[in-house]
Amino acid sequence: MSPLLSIVTSVLLWVAAMCLVAGVAIVGPRGLYGVGEHLGPYLRESRREVAALFAVLLVSGIGRPALQSVSEVFGLRLTGAILALEGGFVAWLQGTFHSPELTLYFSSVYVYGYAFLLVFPFIAYAALPESTTLKRLIVAYTLNYALGLVLYTVVLAYGPRNVMPDAVTSLLYTFNPNFQTLTGEVNVETNVFPSLHTSLSVTVAAFAALTRGEYPAWTALAWWIAGSVVVSTMYLGIHWLTDVVFGTALALGCVYAACRYVDPDGRGSEATGGDPDDAKARG
Amino acid sequence: MAPRISRRDALAGIGLAVGSAGCAGRARNLAGRDGSSQLVLEIRTTPADEDPHGIRIARALAENLTAVGVDARVETMNVADLHRTVLLNHDFDVYVGQYTEVLPFDPDELYGLIHSRFAAEPGWQNPFGFTDLETDEHLEAQRASGRADRRAVVADLLTDVCEKQPFTVVAFPDALAAARTDRFVGWERGPPVSATGLLGMEHVDGGRADGEPVALRLVTTDGRISENWNPIAAEYRRYGTFMSILYDRLAVVDDGTAIPWLARGWEWHDPETLAVELRSSTWHDGEPVTASDVAFTYAFLRDTSMGNAETPVPAPQFRGRGSIVESATAVDDSTVRLRIGDVGADVATRALRVPVLPEHVWSDRAEMATVGGFEFDVETTEALVTPNEEPVGSGPVRFVEATPGERVVFERTPGHFLARAGSPAADDGSNGSPAGDDGREGIPDAYLGTPSFDRLEVSVVGSDVEAVQWVADGHADGTVSNLGPDSVPRIGREEDVRLVSTRSAAFYYVGYNARRAPLSNPRFRGIVASLVDKAAVVDDAFAGHARPASTPLSTSPEWVPEALRWDADDGDPIHPFRGEDGTLDVAATRDALREIGYRFDESDRLLARDQ
Repeated sequence: MSPLLSIVTSVLLWVAAMCLVAGVAIVGPRGLYGVGEHLGPYLRESRREVAALFAVLLVSGIGRPALQSVSEVFGLRLTGAILALEGGFVAWLQGTFHSPELTLYFSSVYVYGYAFLLVFPFIAYAALPESTTLKRLIVAYTLNYALGLVLYTVVLAYGPRNVMPDAVTSLLYTFNPNFQTLTGEVNVETNVFPSLHTSLSVTVAAFAALTRGEYPAWTALAWWIAGSVVVSTMYLGIHWLTDVVFGTALALGCVYAACRYVDPDGRGSEATGGDPDDAKARG
Repeated sequence: MAPRISRRDALAGIGLAVGSAGCAGRARNLAGRDGSSQLVLEIRTTPADEDPHGIRIARALAENLTAVGVDARVETMNVADLHRTVLLNHDFDVYVGQYTEVLPFDPDELYGLIHSRFAAEPGWQNPFGFTDLETDEHLEAQRASGRADRRAVVADLLTDVCEKQPFTVVAFPDALAAARTDRFVGWERGPPVSATGLLGMEHVDGGRADGEPVALRLVTTDGRISENWNPIAAEYRRYGTFMSILYDRLAVVDDGTAIPWLARGWEWHDPETLAVELRSSTWHDGEPVTASDVAFTYAFLRDTSMGNAETPVPAPQFRGRGSIVESATAVDDSTVRLRIGDVGADVATRALRVPVLPEHVWSDRAEMATVGGFEFDVETTEALVTPNEEPVGSGPVRFVEATPGERVVFERTPGHFLARAGSPAADDGSNGSPAGDDGREGIPDAYLGTPSFDRLEVSVVGSDVEAVQWVADGHADGTVSNLGPDSVPRIGREEDVRLVSTRSAAFYYVGYNARRAPLSNPRFRGIVASLVDKAAVVDDAFAGHARPASTPLSTSPEWVPEALRWDADDGDPIHPFRGEDGTLDVAATRDALREIGYRFDESDRLLARDQ
């Protein structure tokens, strides 16, 4: 089995298992039954948004080499500026808290926890009686990816592990080199600004806060995992603090925009328990 | 006319009036001076994923520069990008890189690297913009001198280069590879990043299914080989390993001596002309290799526009050795005469080590490069920008397929002269004898019948750590990119993987842009050189798998005079590290800078003229 296939299989199995457990525990058997019932109609209803998400993912997948070339020629090289701005924060974080147990924890969260975090909301929100939240989630994901792609093209920067290998170890890849086979498929090393791991995790966390009425347990779980993913991006030496701060800002902006775009009058907001400004205020 | 004169007079009168007040003149004298501010130096290098060593050297140097009062910044960029900005555009202050030769080389290599005649050319020829009349004289003298007095001339040259530091040699790393020996052996015979090393790899029958092609699987962090196969594109080539088995050269170096390769042999036609006889060989597209291809190659390296441009557009690689040949003429299909001029015999054979290009493919690429029909740059030909997809060479392997950023596959060329039928001549003249002519005379036995693989697969991965893991997991037989302090210890922990270490001439160096002040000042460069703690770098960045060095010829020690050799106790003989045990003596360095005319402000920042 090729290195990529084996790691992808392992991620798929883990995410499926976690979704199953979380589905039963958080959504409940009856709710899961509702997923089967709603998912098709909800997605049909949100076909424009789904199409937009796929379009962005397609552009990101196919157009990345071309955009990367544009970035190399015209992009802003900000590695030095970011380093000057925040100095050795990531080195301090890693140097202070580094332990084999934490490395195991954060590596798992970065790969498996993150994948679960992105997938599970589809199940949870498809179980809701209204499609608004699912639609908003899809719009927010789309905006994250689209703006992320634009920023990746405009800004060319390397992460701490590439720039200060004497002070920051590339912990994820020294923990399991095969993870690099996976991440290498998903992204390139010059795309660190902003951290999409952070922005998508914070997006999910913001939605979890908006739906705390329906899924209080999910809110707690999502916040825990999202928090861990955010810290892991820095602990593992992949992202700068700057990337994380901008990733968070990007996420909150996207959630706000998604709420404004989908059902801005809040007709369905009783069901999803939140109004647009909530996300901004709470994030 | 008259009104104009009167107006000028009037202006002069006003100027005189104001000037006599004293104040404006003083103001001009003061405000007209450019101010000084802290010196900013940007150090460019590759990120750790691509090369684990360069960034560590750059960081250590930046730290010491900062301590002295320079605003030193490290900027990482991928190696193609780095080469583009440094080699082609000359847009850099300082960079850290690795030299392109893995086998011990001749002092004449320096000719291309630092002779002032190349200062304006883009590419590997004098990227530093170093110009020095005395150095030029030494470079020319070593070319012209005979074997007997060349050593003394080279000693003068090296002394001169060490003093002026157009670049600072940091260390010679060992060529390290993580390798499995269950399928291929011979890793230690030469660096696997050399053509001879690759050809020397031997397949051991590990119970493979019959009829299955034997594949040597290599893994690298350098994705360029999966994107571009242009042997003269400087920004895409590292050591040119794969290019040199795709494109045969007239001669190759084996164990320090030039052996005939695509050339059957050569002799002096007259004291200034070398007559080269070619082996019968074909290009990968089936066309025969002829003497006119060889003649074309030398003309093409000199001017890739073949006279189409107003001024010659030289190739960014092989100019140093190509410039040995003044002109090349095909006498018949298999004989070419190279007019060498006043060059010693040892240096002359260096001219034979350029990749021979097929005229029928490359002559079309002499036109000016265009994008969508527009010429962007009048100094660029199609030959310099083409990725050379489906490369047509004459070498022992040929191109099969590639997925950019992922992998590239080559296969053995059927009918190549190395692989031709007939067992190696065991007893009679395997070295240079015309007897037993099966078209392979002059080639050492070790290369006959090589390569022992049918396919050569090179996979691209993200980092040295991942590369080692691929070998450990059996997805690859060996690594061909640099291994750093994070990956080397892993090799010991893996059962089936061995660390193979061979000596390499590919030294790490700090390059200075001598076109920019204050790096144009050799005294200033000397002080920067003394901020590089080479011994500490070898320990930290190379985990000990390197040797600190003072000259670029440290792997050819016969050329290096005693006074220039690295001293185990005192370090660099000319520019020793200014400090002890890895700690820089900041005060002493500042004094040294003051002594050569630099100033510091009240916060101890080194001042430079605003550019």
